[in-house]
Amino acid sequence: MTLPNRWFSQLAALAGLVVAALLMGWWFGGPGWWLAGATLIYVTWMLRHLYLLDRALEGQHRVPLFETRGLWAEIFARVGKLRAKARNRKKRYHRLLREVRESTGALSDGGIILNADHEIMWFNPAAARLLGLDPITDIGHRIDNLLRQPDFVAYLKAPTGEGMTVESPRHESGWLHVQIIPYGEAQQLAIIRDVTREKNVERTRRDFVANASHELRSPLTVISGYLDSLGEGSDMPAAWREPVTEMRRQAERMTRILRDLIELTRLESADAVAPQDFVDVVGMLKPIVAEFQGRPGPTVRLALETDAALLGKESELHSIFYNLINNAVRFTPAGGSVRVIWRVEDSSAVFDVVDTGIGIPEEQIPRVTERFYRVDPGRSRATGGTGLGLAIVKHALQRHEGQLKIRSREGEGSTFSCTFPKERVVFRGTAAQAVL
Amino acid sequence: MEVEDLGHHISRRFNEDLERVRNSELSMGGLVEEQLDRAIKALSDGNSQLGLQVAEDDKKVNRMEVAIDEECSRILATRAPAAGDLRLVIAIIKTITDLERIGDEAEKIGVIAARLASVERPSTNYRELRNLARHVKQMVHGALNSFARLDTKGALEVVKADNAVDEEYESIYRQGITFMMEDPRTITRVMDMTWMARALERIGDHAKNICEYVIFMVHGKDVRHIGVKNIEAEVEQGVRRVEGT
Repeated sequence: MTLPNRWFSQLAALAGLVVAALLMGWWFGGPGWWLAGATLIYVTWMLRHLYLLDRALEGQHRVPLFETRGLWAEIFARVGKLRAKARNRKKRYHRLLREVRESTGALSDGGIILNADHEIMWFNPAAARLLGLDPITDIGHRIDNLLRQPDFVAYLKAPTGEGMTVESPRHESGWLHVQIIPYGEAQQLAIIRDVTREKNVERTRRDFVANASHELRSPLTVISGYLDSLGEGSDMPAAWREPVTEMRRQAERMTRILRDLIELTRLESADAVAPQDFVDVVGMLKPIVAEFQGRPGPTVRLALETDAALLGKESELHSIFYNLINNAVRFTPAGGSVRVIWRVEDSSAVFDVVDTGIGIPEEQIPRVTERFYRVDPGRSRATGGTGLGLAIVKHALQRHEGQLKIRSREGEGSTFSCTFPKERVVFRGTAAQAVL
Repeated sequence: MEVEDLGHHISRRFNEDLERVRNSELSMGGLVEEQLDRAIKALSDGNSQLGLQVAEDDKKVNRMEVAIDEECSRILATRAPAAGDLRLVIAIIKTITDLERIGDEAEKIGVIAARLASVERPSTNYRELRNLARHVKQMVHGALNSFARLDTKGALEVVKADNAVDEEYESIYRQGITFMMEDPRTITRVMDMTWMARALERIGDHAKNICEYVIFMVHGKDVRHIGVKNIEAEVEQGVRRVEGT
């Protein structure tokens, strides 16, 4: 590495000074004094520049330097450059920060940053507007002290990805959706969205379906009644027999669809969690299976591996079991088999329906619980389904905190498994079984 | 060095204890608010099941009161708090008593709402009661908010609002008397409505009490039974003192 020019000139200046001092010493005598004097001058000169440098680093202003070349001029120029760079960077960050702040301010969704103790670190104007927070006094307060709804507090302790809906603390009959996203080191971001409109639209839709089904039911009852008496009368012309039979079948199907629609809307508008009545599952499954065993079609077998009972709502559990078995039977050709299994797995209870039916293509499995979704429209209608069975199962199961798992392979059959959490299972023990 | 560290540690634990009991008190407040909310909903929707559920859930409020009370006694016995800390503990002990009473009144409203659900509803669907309930709900909400924020000005607003609630109760009461004189068949229903209005008015009083404890806790001044004017003066003085120092 070669010495940079500026250091070379600096060393040359020092050497020149020493030589000059020695020359003067040789000429006038006492070279030691001359040398000491020269060193003193050099040190003073250095100190002065150090002082200037110190001031330059300390203050904001430019410090004048009376040199344009050499080591010090170079050093000062570099310091100046560094400072300009830093200043630019600072300006850029300021601008960026302001832009971020402005854009979060313009967001219509509220955002709140919480620390590990759920204390509010920051929030945007939308959050202040939606929750009634005060930007001056509320920083540092715990959010659950200000938003005290028990449901929200419970959610805050164990946030899930889906978020939750709470009543707005500011507007009556307003609804907010809150989602908490953890990030960084134990920090959390709460996103708050006004969902009053969605809630209202949802309610209107539900009310409409409920009302429409109720309204349609009474005229349909009249039609079915007359069709029944027509079909049973013997004085009907032969040409009309077939059409009337078909009309009766369709009217019956329409009744079933309406009944399922009403059941579904009832499930949707009921409380989120089903009551905990004692339900004897074994006693419920036996007659259902017996009913299907009496019909033509696949063989239906019941395997009771446990006598566990459930805590839930009897009519809804009946819906779940009936719809799943009915579904399996409809999609399994005669000669196939449907196995219904009631068993215990890891202290939760599982209800399986295993069929050897036509199966469901893999990509359609997630969609089969949608209402009126049909894997194969022609076939499904031919077997007389309403298209709502699995939707009812899904909703009823949700209210029992259960899970529906569907495994299927096209052409080989499907397995529908309902898992009920252990809080809802009552084990009656082997002693009770022995007595029975 | 070590002694200092130990001292710091103890006071940190102490702070955590205080913070925890304060949080439990506010979550009890949240539960009471929800109870009140559901009781009113049971009335306006004519949902007797919900009304009875509210009455049933009052047990939860009672359990919380006992737990917080115990925690406060423990803090008093083991930490011997002084000054502001002591005032905080005292304010919490008093507040939970009032919250529990609000819970009891909500239970009463729930039971009455369940009973009213089975009789014919007036054409206004109890508009006056719902109005009163909205004001009272705001008072409870404001009282707990001012507790959370240590906001004595907010507390003062709630104290002031109590007068309006008292007047509203008065007018519902008089209206009820008129109804009963006009048509004795409505007596059962109007009596129930009056009881409900009475319960709501009492809730307003309890909310006001909570606000007085907030002022006591923050400024160290007992402002019970001295009238709104004097409370206002005390709060202003207290706020000035806080801002001055």
